[in-house]
Amino acid sequence: MIQPQTHLNVADNSGARELMCIRVIGASNRRYAHIGDVIVAVIKEAVPNTPLERSEVIRAVIVRTRKELKRDNGMIIRYDDNAAVVIDQEGNPKGTRIFGAIARELRQLNFTKIVSLAPEVL
Amino acid sequence: MFDDLMKKYGEVVFRKNDRKSPSAELDDDAESLSCKFIYSQVPAISVVAVEMAKVASDVKAADIRVLFVKPLVYWTRFFIIATAFSRPQIDAIGSRIRDLAEKKYGKVPSGDAKPNSWTLLDFGDVVVHIFLPQQRAFYNLEEFYGNATLIELPSETQPPFHT
Repeated sequence: MIQPQTHLNVADNSGARELMCIRVIGASNRRYAHIGDVIVAVIKEAVPNTPLERSEVIRAVIVRTRKELKRDNGMIIRYDDNAAVVIDQEGNPKGTRIFGAIARELRQLNFTKIVSLAPEVL
Repeated sequence: MFDDLMKKYGEVVFRKNDRKSPSAELDDDAESLSCKFIYSQVPAISVVAVEMAKVASDVKAADIRVLFVKPLVYWTRFFIIATAFSRPQIDAIGSRIRDLAEKKYGKVPSGDAKPNSWTLLDFGDVVVHIFLPQQRAFYNLEEFYGNATLIELPSETQPPFHT
């Protein structure tokens, strides 16, 4: 359940360290974003000397949420943190590697590029 | 009843007699995981992958690699990585592969519909990546999947492309 003002970790090596959600993409007045949703976010903290800078507005895909993700088979997945991956307008990730485990739902939502860069898919 | 069974087999894990060879088992595995390709028509999925790579090389894609990634990731079996030098070329390679899959195997890919600097076609068991040279060096997928087995392409003697 990510909404505007939520702070998220960054799960890639793009150079951003912390994001703040400022808009959920989808319907108008959409309240919450879950795993696989695209958000507009602002970079709150960045690694020095990287292409991305503090206070830059970017798009990101949510890959981990503390809110549990339910599957049809009864499996429930809950992560320890809220994390997102920075993407550009075309949907390509800005980083070259993803950190940590991600959910396989991303593949069904057409983020196979992120899945193919991830070390572990749950 | 259980006493008889215990006497017969003891406390060891019993191994079934109808074991298949690892490759046959793998095919069964993938079939039950994603029965998307029509298996009666396709003897092995690797044939499909090699065929797609051939189609890509017909449209002058460079440095085509077919990787068997099933032992590394569970969600697919083959990666095809290719380089194209312009967006129209990416479009040509993508639509050729799409046509082949649709006509011959009745499979429509998910992934990018428009040509992109990294175009991905997801056929379930085969995932095709078409890069521009710059993006290929940037994402460096071959290094990330360095432990995957490289499938030899028949009659393919073009020199590897280096930027």
